Amino acid sequence: MRKRKRTALLVEPPSSATGDIAFNLIVFFLVCASVQPDSGVKQSIPSSETVEKESEEAKNIEVSLTRNTVAINGIPVAQKDFVLQLQRKLEGKTNPEDRVVVVKSKPDTPYFHWIAVTSAIEQAGGVVTLQMEEERTIQVPN
Amino acid sequence: MGDIAFNLLIFFVILARAEDDSHLQWVPAEAAELQSAGHAQVSVLVDTDNKLYLNGQEVGISQLSGSIEEKLGDAPSGERVVLVKVHRDTTAVRFEPIIEAVSQAGGDLVHIVEEKRP
Repeated sequence: MRKRKRTALLVEPPSSATGDIAFNLIVFFLVCASVQPDSGVKQSIPSSETVEKESEEAKNIEVSLTRNTVAINGIPVAQKDFVLQLQRKLEGKTNPEDRVVVVKSKPDTPYFHWIAVTSAIEQAGGVVTLQMEEERTIQVPN
Repeated sequence: MGDIAFNLLIFFVILARAEDDSHLQWVPAEAAELQSAGHAQVSVLVDTDNKLYLNGQEVGISQLSGSIEEKLGDAPSGERVVLVKVHRDTTAVRFEPIIEAVSQAGGDLVHIVEEKRP
């Protein structure tokens, strides 16, 4: 009769391999961490110009932002109706230059409000352009 | 051998962290219809204390455009992605000049925000 060979089921790995195991674990976690994608809103904003184009500005849609309100061409709009109203105003405009929407923000407009409105403009098919107030020093003659 | 590799790796991880902004505190805003930002070599961040950082290093607004231009170099369009991470409560007086600076430097702007849940 053949005797069955006893095999140890739990075999400890050699302690010299600990460093290699740790190394492989770190590489694994680093690779996992580095492939986490960032998601966001892409925005192409035309480069700033200091030249004033009064006639062009006049025909562009203007969106004004305050701390918690939004207005299209000076008329306040509820945020839930914003996209629909803007889409109506952009109807029939096919050229990108006609679809420019000038965004003017009050200095205290928070970013979360601004990003919600500018994303809605792009969703409606508008091209976001920022209009910023310039600081001017005026010397008053004595 | 394993120990040397381990120490080398730790060294490079710490070195890379200096160029990283993961240690900075900010709360992203929310928006709908997000897209993947892809790979970016430049990241601009405004933290909860209203401080401005370029790739994890604090900078002033006056240096921002030049520094971004320097980092982007001659990269072709499509590889000029600049991630903009702005704390949700930051006001326009702070973030608008940043957007202008990125635009001036010829960067492709991507606002990093969270998906808006209905």
